[in-house]
Amino acid sequence: MPSAKDLLRKFTELKTLPHVAIKVTQMVNDDRSTMQDFEEIIKLDPVLVTRLLRLVNSPYFGLSQKVESISKAVVFAGMKQLRNLVAVEALRGMFKGDDVDFSAQKLWLHSATVAILAGMIAKRIFGKDGEDVFLAGIIHDIGLIVENQLVPEKLREACKAFREGKGTLIECERNAIGTDHAEVGYLLTKEWGMPQEVLSAIKSHHQGKQVKSVSSASSILLLAEFMAGKMQYWPIVGPIEGLPPELTAHVKERVADYKIIIRDLPDEMAKAKELYESDE
Amino acid sequence: MTEPTFDAIFDDLIDVNEELQSFLRILDGLLPEASLLLVSEAGVLLDGSRSLAFAQPLREKLVQEARAADGFVVGKTENNVRCHAVYLAKLSAVLIISCAAAPDDAWGPGSALATLLQNTIDLAMHRQEREMLVADHEQSVRQINILQQQHGKLIEDNYRQYRLNQDREKEYARKLESEIAKQTAELREANVRLEEISRLKSDFLANMSHELRTPMNAIIGFSELLSETPLAEDQLDYTRTIAQSAASLLSLINDILDLAKIEAGKLELEHLPFDLAEVIGNVAAMFKIPAREKGVVFTCKIDSNVPKRNMGDSNRLRQVLINLVGNAMKFTEQGGIDIEVAYEREAAGRIVSRFSVRDSGIGIPADRVGAIFEKFTQADGSTTRKYGGTGLGLAICLQLVELMGGRLAVESEVGKGSTFYFVIPLEEAPAEIISLQEHKVIGRDKAAHGGRILLVEDNAVNQRLASILITREGYEVEVASDGAEALEHLRHQPFDLVLMDVQMPNMDGMEATRRIRKIEADPAQKQSYVGLRALTQPLGIVGLTAHARKEDETACYEAGMNGFLTKPIVKAKLSMILSERMPQVSCKETEDPS
Repeated sequence: MPSAKDLLRKFTELKTLPHVAIKVTQMVNDDRSTMQDFEEIIKLDPVLVTRLLRLVNSPYFGLSQKVESISKAVVFAGMKQLRNLVAVEALRGMFKGDDVDFSAQKLWLHSATVAILAGMIAKRIFGKDGEDVFLAGIIHDIGLIVENQLVPEKLREACKAFREGKGTLIECERNAIGTDHAEVGYLLTKEWGMPQEVLSAIKSHHQGKQVKSVSSASSILLLAEFMAGKMQYWPIVGPIEGLPPELTAHVKERVADYKIIIRDLPDEMAKAKELYESDE
Repeated sequence: MTEPTFDAIFDDLIDVNEELQSFLRILDGLLPEASLLLVSEAGVLLDGSRSLAFAQPLREKLVQEARAADGFVVGKTENNVRCHAVYLAKLSAVLIISCAAAPDDAWGPGSALATLLQNTIDLAMHRQEREMLVADHEQSVRQINILQQQHGKLIEDNYRQYRLNQDREKEYARKLESEIAKQTAELREANVRLEEISRLKSDFLANMSHELRTPMNAIIGFSELLSETPLAEDQLDYTRTIAQSAASLLSLINDILDLAKIEAGKLELEHLPFDLAEVIGNVAAMFKIPAREKGVVFTCKIDSNVPKRNMGDSNRLRQVLINLVGNAMKFTEQGGIDIEVAYEREAAGRIVSRFSVRDSGIGIPADRVGAIFEKFTQADGSTTRKYGGTGLGLAICLQLVELMGGRLAVESEVGKGSTFYFVIPLEEAPAEIISLQEHKVIGRDKAAHGGRILLVEDNAVNQRLASILITREGYEVEVASDGAEALEHLRHQPFDLVLMDVQMPNMDGMEATRRIRKIEADPAQKQSYVGLRALTQPLGIVGLTAHARKEDETACYEAGMNGFLTKPIVKAKLSMILSERMPQVSCKETEDPS
């Protein structure tokens, strides 16, 4: 049985996050990086430039003047938004392929929904900057992509077992593959230099028993994962794991808030689609 | 995909009657006198704080009536208390209410009580909606706060960026400065190196010129001597050709040396009185015969306002004029060549004069005018083939004229001729110096020959040549091959003059001269030198050197010499210096051996 690290070694050889994405992620974590540094990197990728300009010129930013220079756009977007833009762009290409047992395309829709929900919960309920949890959402199932690339048969075996109720997805993966996508995703994103909060959220997004704080990125990701699963934005057929009691209690307390989030989700998704979706 | 609802998502954890209960709670608070019962669509019973007791069939009947009716319907409780029921469409539930304080007839449709109750129910429902609005509002507030934070962070970020950029700029400026300093140092060093190389180059050239002049000395001297021996016609012709070629080679060597000196900034002009008419006359004399042979009219004109005698370097002025006239002669086949010195103006006590050499030669194309002043360049390549020349002459003239404080220029028209001209300030020579010079010139003519000369020279060929020339001038000659040998000769024999080569092995001319002067200054030593003890005046020593540089001459005088002669030895110059320096013995005629 291969370990998560073995899988990753092979995966890194096979496919890696584009240089631009890794570089931008590192620069966001570096206090000394300047907007000019971002500009230098971004301008190498015409697709990113287009997307960035579209982002800052969208109603979301509500700027009175049209932004046409990269440097200005970088300033307005802010570093984290820029990083997320780059990450979405970079990851989108990896989520390709569709079959009965495992659909990478559906996984992409799931990831996007989780990211948007997580962002909404962070901002609207906890009053926190939603960019990090958005990133965690978009990237949290990358482990499945790695498994799909390297051990597709075993992944399908795990999915089948899960569908037939032979345990949680994580358990089924461990039985079939020897590791699970949360572990693989955690190690991979660690290599890419993602922030610590994002890393722990990815690692624990199937471990409902370990809720420490309701407002942590991990809790938010769990909630968003649960909600997206209930909304059928989930590529693997099988029972949805229940929410841990702390989070259930939290939702009960904030019914009105969650009602509003669910009400506003379609609008937010449309907005996100406009900002992030590819033109293909 | 249908739009998800909260209930669908959180079905497991949400009590379906949660909403009804919260409504009931609110209504309970609004109607403290009333007893309430809420029957959900599923038939679930929800009690208010004051409960109503019902038998099931009775209750179900009432609920059914209420669902069907529009408004309130009347019913009875178990305890026969009158109550009213109403269907609440928004909640899909039936509300049963009993209020003891309200009379029965007050419940009719449109009655005040019914309206009041309806309003109260609406209020309770709105309160519930209000909860949502409040939550919505709070979410908006949080989002606005985040945006404000982000905005603040953006400003902070930008400020940080600004500081970072400033730091980087400072760093860059610092690096730039140190880079400039480094490069300046490197350039300075390179410059020093180049200056050193340049110095070595001019030293090399000076040495080369010495090496070249020594054999030239022999060639010129011996061909001169050879031409004076009885020769057949063709032999005489060959000899003259040798002499002419040697002369032109020497002039080329001089040109190159001059240029090197000028470029090294080592050429210094003399500041001695000279006769301008004599200089022009000399030049004219040189070209009179070739002009006549070519059929070219040659004229000279000096403005009477230009001073006759001036201070300056007559040799260099002559060199420039010879060069210009030589060029004119070379490129002119018919017509005339004129030298003219014209008065221009007086400035700061100097007479600014214009020297021009006009010819009616082939002229220079306008686009080549600049090039002719360059080294090794003539108007075009074919000129070199047709007319010869090194192309050094004008470059030297240009520099010499500049040293004299003027500028050499040319006006030319192809086929019509050229005029080369320069304007330089002339300084009139003071009167007393003139008389001295003239006196000397007169004195020389009256000199008689005779006396003993010690020739100190290491080169055997030059020993022979110089010996022959000296003997011909009518003097006795003794030869020493270096300084030490010369001192030996002086110890045993008397001499009237020493011709001292500067560069020699063992003891060079400078050292020998210094020693002689030292011996002269010490009476005890002087006695042991036959050649020195009888002298009342210091022994005449004339330096001989192939180094034609000014500093070489100065060095000779500093070593104690009182004359200076450059090699190759020109007969006329030798004869002049000998007649100047040798004691004048009257009425003693020496036979010319040849």
